[in-house]
Amino acid sequence: MNISGLYSALSGMNAHKRILDVTAHNVANVNTPGYHRQRVTLEPAGVTSVSAVFAGRSQGAGGVNVASVDRVLDELAESRLLRETAMQAHTSLTSTTLDRIEQAFPEPSDIGIAAQLDDFWAGWSDLSTRPDDLSSRTQLLERSQTVIDALRRASVDLDALEESSRESVGRLATDINDIAGRIAELNRTIVGSATSANDLLDQRDLLVTKLAELSGAISRPADGGQIDVYIGGRIIVSGGITQSVREIAGVLQWSSDSAAVTAPASKAAALAETINDTVPRYRIALDAVANELVTSVNGLHFGGYDLTGATGRNFFAPAGVTAATISLSADVAGQPERLAAGEPDPGPVAPGRFDGERARAMAALAGAATGPDARYRSMVSTLGVEVRTAVRRNEIQGQLVQAAANRADSVGGVSIDEEMANMMSAQRGFEAAARVLTAIDEMMGVLIQRTGLVGR
Amino acid sequence: MNRVTNSMTSRTTLRDLNMSLGRLQERQADLSTGRVIRKVSDDPTAAVDAMGIRNELRRADQRSRSLNDAQGWLQTADTALVSGLDILTRVKELTVRASSTGVANPASQFAIATEIDGLRSELLAIANTKYLDRPIFNGTADGAAYDSVSGLYNGNSAVVQREVAPGTVMPVNMTGQQVFGTQGGPTSDLFAVLDRLQTAILASDSTAIAAEHSNLDTATKRLASAAAEIGTRAARIDNLRARADADQMGMSERLSRLEDADIAEALLNVKSSENAYNAALQAAARILPASLLDYLR
Repeated sequence: MNISGLYSALSGMNAHKRILDVTAHNVANVNTPGYHRQRVTLEPAGVTSVSAVFAGRSQGAGGVNVASVDRVLDELAESRLLRETAMQAHTSLTSTTLDRIEQAFPEPSDIGIAAQLDDFWAGWSDLSTRPDDLSSRTQLLERSQTVIDALRRASVDLDALEESSRESVGRLATDINDIAGRIAELNRTIVGSATSANDLLDQRDLLVTKLAELSGAISRPADGGQIDVYIGGRIIVSGGITQSVREIAGVLQWSSDSAAVTAPASKAAALAETINDTVPRYRIALDAVANELVTSVNGLHFGGYDLTGATGRNFFAPAGVTAATISLSADVAGQPERLAAGEPDPGPVAPGRFDGERARAMAALAGAATGPDARYRSMVSTLGVEVRTAVRRNEIQGQLVQAAANRADSVGGVSIDEEMANMMSAQRGFEAAARVLTAIDEMMGVLIQRTGLVGR
Repeated sequence: MNRVTNSMTSRTTLRDLNMSLGRLQERQADLSTGRVIRKVSDDPTAAVDAMGIRNELRRADQRSRSLNDAQGWLQTADTALVSGLDILTRVKELTVRASSTGVANPASQFAIATEIDGLRSELLAIANTKYLDRPIFNGTADGAAYDSVSGLYNGNSAVVQREVAPGTVMPVNMTGQQVFGTQGGPTSDLFAVLDRLQTAILASDSTAIAAEHSNLDTATKRLASAAAEIGTRAARIDNLRARADADQMGMSERLSRLEDADIAEALLNVKSSENAYNAALQAAARILPASLLDYLR
């Protein structure tokens, strides 16, 4: 009979109390983002070879030890989730951007650029039947202004999108630096902490995920439980030290040598794509529409004759061949009688003042195979397909993220049922250990009270 | 065995609910806007087709206005020419009377000449007929077609045409020269003939009257053939108009099939999406709150 059984029972009670503590912690954090369930690893306390007679109050003499409290997670699933999450940040922003571009071109409708162009051509058609009528001329001028306004408006919308993307890059740089700083701080805390740093690790992983969404960052383990974080192969957090990034003219770059940050799929990459590819592409397409409109209309108008019998005037200002700069030429603006509706007569007779053949030729541009309308439609078609693809891709990516998150959660997530079961088993373990303690206590009581009384 | 955690269940349920609600919203928008293509990305191919049809439809609309205008021109010309023919018939009667009453009666010759003068003014007014404030026998020139006193032609020989079918134009005017003859031409123009006729009657020059009578015949034939030409064109316009209306209807129908929601189908879709959403909600309401906790004391 020795006293060590008492301590074994005590260690059992302590261990189960610890399990209950951890269960409480798990349940409390069931909805905490980035939290991984923790598990108590128990190990039997080693039995010493020393004779029982000399066994003191050593933990090693039986009982149970709490070996560690660990986070439960599947590294592979976690890193996949990280990649998919970063990719989703990319696809989501891309689809939002394209959606905004699509809103700048509300088609098919009665208010889009296509409808304004149709109105414009209809104006020429009206003019061709009533070249003598000043009101149809005035109306045509007004409709041209509407087309100009619609084109400019779309161009301004594209500009605004680019501008807001550039501003986003600025905020992105601030956020990246902030998060990198916090990761470095956590690195320093973790390497210096004596106790279990599980919750700090969760926090740090969460920050890495955020950084991955912003910039496609990945982390690699380093000495002493620290991690190094890389963006596009370049280190941003190395232990407790960070590199900073900054935004110059909408470009994300490293502060130290001004090299551009080459971010993999992420918000940063999507923004760069918006600024360098998507918006410029649609601006070029829109400008091509404006250019085609200006050149084809001017081409016909220049050779036509107006009410005053004059010719050689431009309809649109020849310098403004982009959607942003298109405008009526000063020759015709506000002077409806100067719209050239008349066809130059090939014969010796000058074209009649009321000839409308040039205007009719102009109206026929509406159906031209490579005219502004056709160009605009092809641009809108490209846009529609691109938006649809982006939305589709984003949906699929959402499913991939969900699958990856479920995968990671199936290992690291808190299950209340499981915790309840653990709680009951810990409770029972504690009760049993307490009962053993009581039993040993009673036995010892018997020894103390009843022994050595022979002959008394 | 895979663990299933509470966050997995709620994440999956939430996403499914969201998708189900999203589909319901889309179908409801179909119904409330009455359109299945609200933006290009809904169906890029159909949307661009719809834009093309809208463009064609707008041009068809313009053509229909053109046809209206052509019809107006031709009807005005027709009316003018028919009354012109009536007047010419009267002139010919008077001419016959002038040659038959002989030289003996200067008073009656004078009366005939005066009436012919009045008829000439009427014919000049007809030659200056306007449609929408524009002289129709004037080519593309400005101002009145004929000087109301001298009867001289001010217009040109230009053709006024209207687009009456895709890529097809039709002249809608006839110039004064085509209708009333060319000044200084072999048979001269109608107004010069009438001038000379008056002089001949006043002078009781029966040879001259006979000569102008045959010129009048030529002028009448010219006018009659112009009227026939106008009538033919008007008939063709009527034909084209029926075709254009049918085309327009067809295009509107195609556009509607592309863009517009079939209300019955849309209603059905909304109902079935609603059912799906309700089912998803019920399932979520049952699964989410269930846990071991319910059974622990």
